[in-house]
Formats: sequence, structure tokens, C-alpha cells
Amino acid sequence: MKKIIASIALAAAIGSGSAALAQDEDITIALVPGLTTDAFYITMNRGAQVAAEALGITVEFQGAEEFDPVLQTPVLDAVIARGPDAILVAPTDSTQMIEPLRRASDAGIPIITVDTFIDDGSYQDGSGDGDFPLAYIASDNIGGGRMAARAMAEAIGGEGAVYVSNLRPGISTTDQREEGFKAEMAENFPDIQVLDTQYNENDASLAASQFQAVLARNPEVKGVFGANLFSALGAGNGVESAGKSEDVTVIAFDAPGSIVNNISSGLVDAAIAQHPAEIGYFGVMAAYAHLKGESIPTTIGTGFTVIDAENVDDEATQKFIYSE
Amino acid sequence: MENVAQNKGTSFVKSLLNAWSWLFLILILGFFEIYAQIETGNTFLFRVYNLQSIAVAASQILLLALGLTLVIVAGHIDLSIAFSSGLASVVIALVIRAAGPDAGWMIVLLATVAGLLSAALVGIVNGWLVAYLSVPSFIGTLGTYGVARGVALIIAGGAVVSIRNSYARDLGNSNILGFPIPLVAAMVLALVCHYVLKHTRFGAHTYALGANPASVERAGVDVKRHLIILFVISALTAGMGGLIYTFRFSAGAANSGEPILLYAVAAVFIGGASLTGGQGTITGTVIGAFIIAVIQFGLVFSGLPPYWQFVAVGLVIIIAVLVDQSKDRIVGGKA
Repeated sequence: MKKIIASIALAAAIGSGSAALAQDEDITIALVPGLTTDAFYITMNRGAQVAAEALGITVEFQGAEEFDPVLQTPVLDAVIARGPDAILVAPTDSTQMIEPLRRASDAGIPIITVDTFIDDGSYQDGSGDGDFPLAYIASDNIGGGRMAARAMAEAIGGEGAVYVSNLRPGISTTDQREEGFKAEMAENFPDIQVLDTQYNENDASLAASQFQAVLARNPEVKGVFGANLFSALGAGNGVESAGKSEDVTVIAFDAPGSIVNNISSGLVDAAIAQHPAEIGYFGVMAAYAHLKGESIPTTIGTGFTVIDAENVDDEATQKFIYSE
Repeated sequence: MENVAQNKGTSFVKSLLNAWSWLFLILILGFFEIYAQIETGNTFLFRVYNLQSIAVAASQILLLALGLTLVIVAGHIDLSIAFSSGLASVVIALVIRAAGPDAGWMIVLLATVAGLLSAALVGIVNGWLVAYLSVPSFIGTLGTYGVARGVALIIAGGAVVSIRNSYARDLGNSNILGFPIPLVAAMVLALVCHYVLKHTRFGAHTYALGANPASVERAGVDVKRHLIILFVISALTAGMGGLIYTFRFSAGAANSGEPILLYAVAAVFIGGASLTGGQGTITGTVIGAFIIAVIQFGLVFSGLPPYWQFVAVGLVIIIAVLVDQSKDRIVGGKA
């Protein structure tokens, strides 16, 4: 019995920390990330907390340990049960999260998707099953993919073979990065050949061995675009162990500390940094405006910064490196 | 005489130890209720929405864990369930999608049968590997885990197969008298499995197979056939999990079972099964699945930092194994 009382006391002590933050405004917004252990989403939460502080409201960060709809759905159900005033969510699948999010919407909780989207990503236009969220706030991932393609083209001198290392199909953001990368190459760099995409299930060691296999088949390969953290780290590692660091360019998407360190070390040549803190900040602001009866845009696009060996140590670049 | 008395004493201690998972479930429900009352002034336990959400999450774990319980009782393991479930999920979605947007009941039923058949196929291969080729089940089902996953991804074209079918959606997301359909499906299957394990010769042989395989062989039971049936049951309940998944999310996903595989295995062991076989019950597994679902929901509902989920689920598994070991020590080995 003692143990139970002790654990209740402990739990109450942990809980009261967040309760103390709530000020006069009795508004609580839940932020449900794709996964809780990722620098990108932790940085997004940092931005969201800045907005919460400015508004004097509470933002709660609750999510699953892996980027997966099976794990995100029970968390979302429990978040709905807490009855927040609004939910910011990064859906882990554009199709499969429609039904779980509809339950929140049916319960009268406004939904804004951040980073990833459901259905076609254009909401409130009367089309599609997943039309009910109010807004989609994210980097323009197609644009980011195009930026990666331009950086790649410049690095390899506008000709040669490259490929995309991606985690798996069906995730709106990484699909779009690949799409943008390929579109830019096709439109503006006809001398660059884009080989088949390699899917690594978010496993860096698989991404590394895939590079070596691609190299074995296409010895002329000159660049890899890693569409997310582990794809890039893995590809970079594969390049290094093949002794090809001089000849092969690795462009990474996202800029957590692990990527940025590898820019300094030369494993990765450049990173396309998203601005996740901006996404969190504007997500909370948009939800707040909606709760106060103001209209909000259905899409908000946030920007990118290219980080490479030249600017990686600049003071101005540091704010774009994700918190860990 | 003395022997009988001793047996009685032992079985009393045993039933007490077996009840620990009930106690544990009640304890954590009580904990979250008290916590919710203190922290938010709301009830945790007496809200239909909460109970329904927990029940659906538990059902998804349970569907993978039911057939697995039988396999573990027989002293084996089935890792391929994650992907027999995924395969069934994809096959069902493909059939429904092929039939077009106006597909009716019959198509959904046909798709269900096709999905379950595809899962059963994985079960037959597992059983054949273990029974006829004497491949250890851990290795054999690890192999079919990969094969089923690959096949599911290949036929799905590497992507998620989304469907639009109102029958399927209703099956996954409506309630019967307040009970979510996934729960009803899981409970019906749980009852069937319970009956098979406790009240049939097949069940008795399954326990015996886990406790002492040689004796079963000597008693003239067709062990090979028995093993194949066990693995088919395991694949079929997992296939039901994939079916429910497709109905819930209006999508067939090859990876749908993967993240809950470990929870399913944990549910079976929390429920009192032993790694060495010969022990375990369906009621235990049901409670195990609910314990995991309650913890997952409760921690979020309580607003605790998300990382506590790792700690909590991990601790429960360790406690389960510790209790299992002490059970063996007190009672003196296998049942």
C-alpha cells in the first residue's frame, strides 16, 4: 500500500509541473508528434512551447515511441479523452490516420496537421475523406526536394547518376521530397540520371549496404539524396566505408546534431534544414486564432536553410540545428 | 493420502499466483482512477469513451496473442504472426478495392475469406517447417516473418492499399450495444480458443506437448498434424487482427502487425505462460493484453511525459517474468 501511495504522490508531483504553467487562459492544446524521440519533433515542441508561453496557454506533448499508425492511434484516443481545446498532430500515415482523426473531429475538437497530412493535404475544400482538419502547417517538402536537387546538381557538376535513399513509400513528407527531387532533376538537369529509389525501412545500416550494392551495379554513381535522417546517415556511412567520400556527394534532408556533426566531418556534404520550431510556433498560433473565432489559412508553408561546410559554424546557422 | 493433500496445497498456491494478473490489472485501473480524480477531477474508469478506446487497443493486441498462446503453451513460438496479420490485411484490402467503390456485403465477406486463407497459408508453412523439417519454431517463424512481410509488400506494391467501403468502415468503427466490433470479434475468438484449450482433447494434448513432448508421441497422438493445426490457428487469429485493422483504418498495410508483435508476446507471458511451454491460459492472455492497453492509454490520459510509457511497459514485462519464475520455484517446475 505504501508503494501505491508513494507512486501516486510521485505521479501527482510530475503532473503538477505542467498544471502550474497554465495561466488565466484556460486553453490546452495537444501536440501529437509522429514520434516522441525524434529531434525534429522535439524542436517542433520547442517552438510550440514558445507560442504557448507568449499566449499564456498550455501545450501538451504526447506521442508514441515509433512513427507508426498502430502506435499513434491509442495515444490519440487517450489525448482525445483528455478533451483538449485543439489538437496539433503529425499523422503517421496519410490514409490510415483519417478514421482515428475523424473521431477527434466528431468529438468537436479542431484538428490542425503539422509536418505530415492526411488524405490529399488540402483541407476544407469539400473534397476527399480527410477534409475536416482546419489547416496543414509544414515545410513545402516538394520545394525542399527541389532545393536538394539543385544542391546536388551543383556539387556533382550537373551530370552523372544519383539516387534517392528513402525510408518507405506512403509517408506524405518523404514521398514529396523524393517527388520534388526527381521533378527538379527531370526539368532542369537533363544530364543527371536518377536511378531507382532504395527503401531502407528507416534502418541506417540497410541504407549503407544499399549504397554499396548500388555502387557495385553502377560504379559511376555520383550522389545520394537521403530523404530523412537515417537514410542520409546510412548512405553517408556506406559512401565512407566504400572509400568514395571524394567522389560521391551525400545530401541530407533534416538537420539534427548528428547530421550537422557529419557535415563538419565530411560524411555528409550538405543538409536541407527544415524549420520545425516555426511549424510548432505557427501551429499553436493558428489553433489559438481559431479558438478565438478568427479565420486561419488552410496551409502555412515554412522555410528551409541549406547547411554545408561553409556555413555550418556560423552563428546565424545555429538556430536551424534541431534540439536533441 | 499425503500426496493428495500436498497436491491440494500446491494447487491453492498456484491459483493464487495465477490470480496475480487480475490483481495487477485492478491495481493499475485503481491507480489511474485515483490519479485522474486528483489531477483533473475527472473519472478515468467510468467513461464509455475511455473504455471503448482501451478495448479496441487491447483487441488488436489480443488478436495476435490468442493463437500465439496456444503455440507457446505447446512449447513453441510464432514470430510470423506480425506479418500473417499484415498479409491478410493487404489481401482483404486488395479484394475490396478490386471490386470497386460499390462493393457490397458479399465482397467484404469474400475478401475476409481470402485474407484468412492467405494467413492460413503462412500457418501451414510454419507447421510444416517445425513438424516435418524439425526447424526450431523461433528460427522457422522468423523466416516466414520475412517471407510473409515481403509477399505482403510485393502484392501491395510497397504501399498502403487504401479502400473506400462503408461496410468495411462500419465493421471496424461501430459498436454493438456500446461494445466496439473489434472487441466483440476478439472476445468471440478468445472464447473459442479458451474452449479449445481447456475443454477438448486437442487442448489437453497441447499442454502435454509443452510439458513433455515425448509422452505425447508415445500416447499415439499425431504430433505433426497437431503442430500444423496449432500454427494455422495462430496464423488465423493474427489474420483476424489484420482484417480488423483494415476495417478500422480503411487501409491494408503490410506492416500493420509489426509494432504490436512484442506487445502480443508480452501479453501472453504477463498472462502466466512460460517460455518452456506447458503453461498459460487464454484468460491470462486477455488480461495481459488489457494490462498493456490500460497502461498505454492511462499514461497519456494522465498527462505523464510520453517517455514513461517505455518504462512502464518494460517494468510490467519484467514483473511478469519474475512472478513466472517464482511460481516455478514455489510449485516446483512445470504443471
